[in-house]
Amino acid sequence: MSASTAPTLHQIDPPRWGVGALVRSTLLYGLLGLVALLVVLPLLFAFSLALQGPTLSPQLLPDFGRLDWSSFGQVFREEPNLGRWIVNSFVVSLAVTLGQLVTSALAAYALAIMKFRGKIIFFFFFLGTLMIPWESTIIPNYLTVTRLGWKDSYQGLIAPFLASGFGIFLLRQYFLTIPYDLYEAAALDGCGYGRFLWSVLVPLSRPALATLAVYTFLNTWNQYYWPLLVIDSPQWRTTQIGITAFRSSEITVYNLQMASTIIVMLPTLILLVLGQRQLVRGLTEGALKG
Amino acid sequence: MSIKVIAAKRKSQWRDFGWPLLYMSPALFFLVAFTYIPFLRSVWLSLFVTTPQGATARFNGISYYSRIFNLDGSGRTEYLKSILTTIYFALLVVPLAIAFALGLAQLATLKVKAIGFFRTIFTSSIAISVASASVIWALIYSPTTRATQWIIELLRLNSDSLLQHSGTALLAVAFMTTWTALGFNFIVTLAGIQAIPQELYESARLDGASGWKAFRFLTLPLLTPTLLFLIVINTIQCFQAFTQFNVLIGNEGPDGSTNVFVYSIFTAFWKDNRYGFASAMSVVLFLVLAAMTFIQFRVLDRRVHYQ
Repeated sequence: MSASTAPTLHQIDPPRWGVGALVRSTLLYGLLGLVALLVVLPLLFAFSLALQGPTLSPQLLPDFGRLDWSSFGQVFREEPNLGRWIVNSFVVSLAVTLGQLVTSALAAYALAIMKFRGKIIFFFFFLGTLMIPWESTIIPNYLTVTRLGWKDSYQGLIAPFLASGFGIFLLRQYFLTIPYDLYEAAALDGCGYGRFLWSVLVPLSRPALATLAVYTFLNTWNQYYWPLLVIDSPQWRTTQIGITAFRSSEITVYNLQMASTIIVMLPTLILLVLGQRQLVRGLTEGALKG
Repeated sequence: MSIKVIAAKRKSQWRDFGWPLLYMSPALFFLVAFTYIPFLRSVWLSLFVTTPQGATARFNGISYYSRIFNLDGSGRTEYLKSILTTIYFALLVVPLAIAFALGLAQLATLKVKAIGFFRTIFTSSIAISVASASVIWALIYSPTTRATQWIIELLRLNSDSLLQHSGTALLAVAFMTTWTALGFNFIVTLAGIQAIPQELYESARLDGASGWKAFRFLTLPLLTPTLLFLIVINTIQCFQAFTQFNVLIGNEGPDGSTNVFVYSIFTAFWKDNRYGFASAMSVVLFLVLAAMTFIQFRVLDRRVHYQ
């Protein structure tokens, strides 16, 4: 989000100099600052607890003279699996993201570029998955994954999410904006289906692919329900299961709890700062997904 | 047409069909395997009494469905109550979430320096998972940190935590849910406001409408499609909310006051291993969500001002 927008007539209205302007801008910044503070208050609270050392009766504000940063290192020693949880989350999120990019791009390519009978049926078949909430499929999926012996495994965490109707729909819409002439010209030059997808369509569709990637990564990283079901042993937990299990475990030391929570929030917060535009686009378009 | 030509045409038709099918096959495979078949199996399982291993044991007809809606005369209203709790939860969250989003978005349209910084802060909860937020809010509501003791004293509740009192538990979870949804609702509302042409405000100002009037008679009507979208999305998300209930409460709550529908599905499925019954509930959830989307669009459609 850029801070500077083109000046409009609106902007010229308020007085630009003098006491009036000063009072006005002080009031506005005061209001903005206050509201921003309220919005991030829970995060500041988490930080405050993380920096107070292993106390059992934490205060709302830390003693700023004696900030104890050791919790961020100590939590890795007290909970040796934390590193593993982060690795698990990365492996699962990256695999799901990559898988969805591949399956969605291939299917969207067929739907957008190729000509064949019954295309509309396939299109609605893919779109129909958006109508089915995940909760209505979770019991049979759990039974299947259990029968396959995939509990406590990467495939159990990854496989159910390797394709998404939303991803296909998003990429199809984008592929359709690319002129069909481009394909015909490429075909005349002897370019096959596969090469056209890889060397023309994919490079041209980077914004849509990035949107899908950031959105899928965030969603997978933040998954809770499914990993809760298919993970039994501590070393297979993902970060979300880890930090919530950590909470109910015998180590109820608040600074470590909050430190671990802050640590596992970092990747997605960084993603927000780096890929905010893609993320926002993905979320607004993906929100209709049930 | 000779047989040869027909055969060649058939062959090319098949090849025309073969390539697309090949390209669609990975997506088809995963969506059939993990969405369509499981969904149909949910419907199937919902008609049976199941073993603890999830196999069908005895055909049960629709008796699970009549049980859920208390149509079988068993007097067990807990499932109906669970649906009502979910509706109540959505009624708490959605208006609050929309109001907050409107307020933040209005603030974020102020033309001051460094507004981008404030916008990023207002968006930040997008990146925070419901699980992380739940862990933080569990401590905010915890009696140890005393962060919310003043509310308990103000309301003179006889419990240690807002989460342990049947009158406030659902409110507390709803408030926390509003916070997790804040970033998304804000960014969508802001985009909606920014899409309104500035000239309209200019001419409204010339007509003597600014400030609250401009907001009430210009921003709000033109924003209704965006707000409708947000109402639908937030309601659906409320009906699917599970993480915060499992982390903050972990059971049906004081006097069952936070036993939302997805949580009672979880109880039947995970704690009681009643796969058939839980499947019936999940099919009901599917129907409720589908109906709600439909009704909301129909009812709200009449009051929407599309430009």
